[in-house]
Amino acid sequence: MALITRKHILKPPAPAAPGVAISVQSLTKRFGDFTAVGGVSFEVGTGEIFGFLGPNGSGKTTTIRMLCGTIAPSSGGARVLGLDVAAEAEAVRARIGYMSQKFSLFEDLTVDENLRFYGGVYGLDGSRFTARRAHILKMADLIGRENELTENLSVGWKQRLALGCATIHEPELVFLDEPTSGVDPLARKDFWELLYELAASGVTLFVTTHYMDEAANCSRLAFIYRGDIVAIGTPDELRSREMRDRIFEVEVADTEAVLAALENDADVREVYMSGALLHVNMGEADGAAALLDVALARAGAAGAHASRVEPSIEDVFVHLVTREQRERSVI
Amino acid sequence: MNPRRIRLLMWKEVLQLLRDKMMLPLIFVMPVMQLVMFGYVVGADVTNLRTVIVDQDHTATSRAITEAFSSSGYFRIVDRLDSEGAIRPVMDAGDAAVAVLLPPGMERDLAGGEKVALEIVVDGSDSKTASVASGYAAQVVASFERERLTALGAMPDGPGIDARVRVLFNPALRSVNAMIPGLVTMVLMLSVSSIMSQAVVRERERGTLEQLFVTPIGRAEYVIGKVVPYVGIAIIQTLSVMMVGVFWFRVPFYGSVWVMTLGLLLFMLAGIGQGLIISMISHTRHQAQQTTMFILIPTMVLSGFIFPIESMPASIVPLTYLIPMRYILVIARSNAMKGAGFEALWPQFVAMAAFAVVMFGFGVSRFRKQLAD
Ligand SMILES: Nc1ncnc2c1ncn2[C@@H]1O[C@H](COP(=O)(O)OP(=O)(O)O)[C@@H](O)[C@H]1O
Ligand SMILES: [Mg+2]
Repeated sequence: MALITRKHILKPPAPAAPGVAISVQSLTKRFGDFTAVGGVSFEVGTGEIFGFLGPNGSGKTTTIRMLCGTIAPSSGGARVLGLDVAAEAEAVRARIGYMSQKFSLFEDLTVDENLRFYGGVYGLDGSRFTARRAHILKMADLIGRENELTENLSVGWKQRLALGCATIHEPELVFLDEPTSGVDPLARKDFWELLYELAASGVTLFVTTHYMDEAANCSRLAFIYRGDIVAIGTPDELRSREMRDRIFEVEVADTEAVLAALENDADVREVYMSGALLHVNMGEADGAAALLDVALARAGAAGAHASRVEPSIEDVFVHLVTREQRERSVI
Repeated sequence: MNPRRIRLLMWKEVLQLLRDKMMLPLIFVMPVMQLVMFGYVVGADVTNLRTVIVDQDHTATSRAITEAFSSSGYFRIVDRLDSEGAIRPVMDAGDAAVAVLLPPGMERDLAGGEKVALEIVVDGSDSKTASVASGYAAQVVASFERERLTALGAMPDGPGIDARVRVLFNPALRSVNAMIPGLVTMVLMLSVSSIMSQAVVRERERGTLEQLFVTPIGRAEYVIGKVVPYVGIAIIQTLSVMMVGVFWFRVPFYGSVWVMTLGLLLFMLAGIGQGLIISMISHTRHQAQQTTMFILIPTMVLSGFIFPIESMPASIVPLTYLIPMRYILVIARSNAMKGAGFEALWPQFVAMAAFAVVMFGFGVSRFRKQLAD
């Protein structure tokens, strides 16, 4: 009888809540006095493409490192694939893939040697390795180039090979830290096709990026700013919930001068470059269009063409970051 | 611990090394080149060394030894003296560079199966001549001894003539004989400590280190996979330097392979520890290089590698005890040149073992900890 009672008291190992790939509670990392990640909490569902957005130095890489178990959190914790990262790091590592910010291939090894190394490290052998190798070579478009030194590949190929090496063991969850930085737009598009394929096969993706157009590709997004998550939701949710401000797109000849003038204009909430155009946030005011015309005149760009646009993820991002900056500088 | 992963790590390390165009010459060409250069600067051929004989035995044997010296081609006998005391003035005057002292009762003692100490005094003020002279003199005596024993049909390692070289004026003469053991230790130090730290820092710089630690590779596996190839390289380097020394420069090895191996192993552990520590405090390869140089200079100067410790100012000498290479130099030189074993070298072995335990232990534990945060 006593035995049975005890069995009931002992909690079974918490199974992953169905559909939860990552669950983070108050995850914190301090380097000395500096708090790089300040107690973030969030969940990532199975099969999601979860985008982690934030300016440089906001704590994206640090968060990923803690989730992969390469660095220990100062406090708080995370469960990845139902396992406690701190306690069961090794079991976690066997089931996740990680593509770090630098493409961490061995540049002085050939394509084939890199595959053999990572394949062996993950314990792939025989027919499974042969099949995975063939799959990756095809996916990375490297058939016939197996014996080339990795350092001689151009960035797009390196990036795809790095993805291949990081997923050679068919992980259920892949972390990608700015996987497309420094890659030309066309290769970026191709790479995202590969990510979609992975996601379609049921793999959960955790992607950090600072390319706003890529953020729109994600099924859910979190904005991190100076170690804190300031907003989280699907792209549509973020646009509608966080953004009631009116955004105008303005085309002017001397963008720099107008930008500088508008930045100091009391009626203008935010102004920034978006591609070759200016984006102006006029707040929620009703007469926004009229106010903008006046402001443009003050800035020496009277009659410039301004049109109201639907807020993009980038607009939301700039808005959130500016808001945080303002709030923090008040404190 | 998974042997397959360790094997893979070693395999990739060796591949990377073989493809590194900078590293390879550094590893294999540099030590041998240094040795050859030094060997030739020191050991340029010298013949007709002015020699005096002090024959106090006046027997057939002593005359035969004199004859062996004069017919060798290296020594020209310029004078015969009666007493040991007469040597100094002749050398002071620069009239002779070598004196051969044949003690009284030599032939009788040899016949009685006793050991005879034959003394060769060398003018050390010209270290080049002196080192060549002592080498040749030792050779002449050794070959004479071999012939004598063969003629007697005696056991080659029984008691017999033992040539003792005494260097006047510059007792800690740096000859090629002393250089080889020194160079072996230096090369060992450079390859395990500097080359390995370079490899670790390179891996961190390129981000591959981080990548490795999200794979199932454990910290201990990584350290083993990294260290073992460099230990292998160090062994190859040591052997190649020794080969060149023994077969090219004919440096004699009187020591015990075991004593030497144990000493070098302890030293190598200390070197690995040092390399790991360097790799932890350096963020770039350049920094690692500079740190290595920063350590190398006091090591070369204070260990006795270049300057004899006996000739250092008394205020500096205590510092030399902090340099691990000091101990291995004594071990390697005394063992190779004089055949000294554990009975004579135990203080150095104790010190070397202490350095090895502390540096290796500290290096590995800190390294594993650093990889963990
Ligand atoms: N090992 C470290 N020691 C000290 N500070 C660090 C360390 N790693 C990161 N940081 C700091 O933490 C902050 C967040 O860095 P990181 O997570 O790399 O940002 P992101 O990836 O978003 O650009 C930065 O200010 C960075 O300088
Ligand atoms: Mg980063």
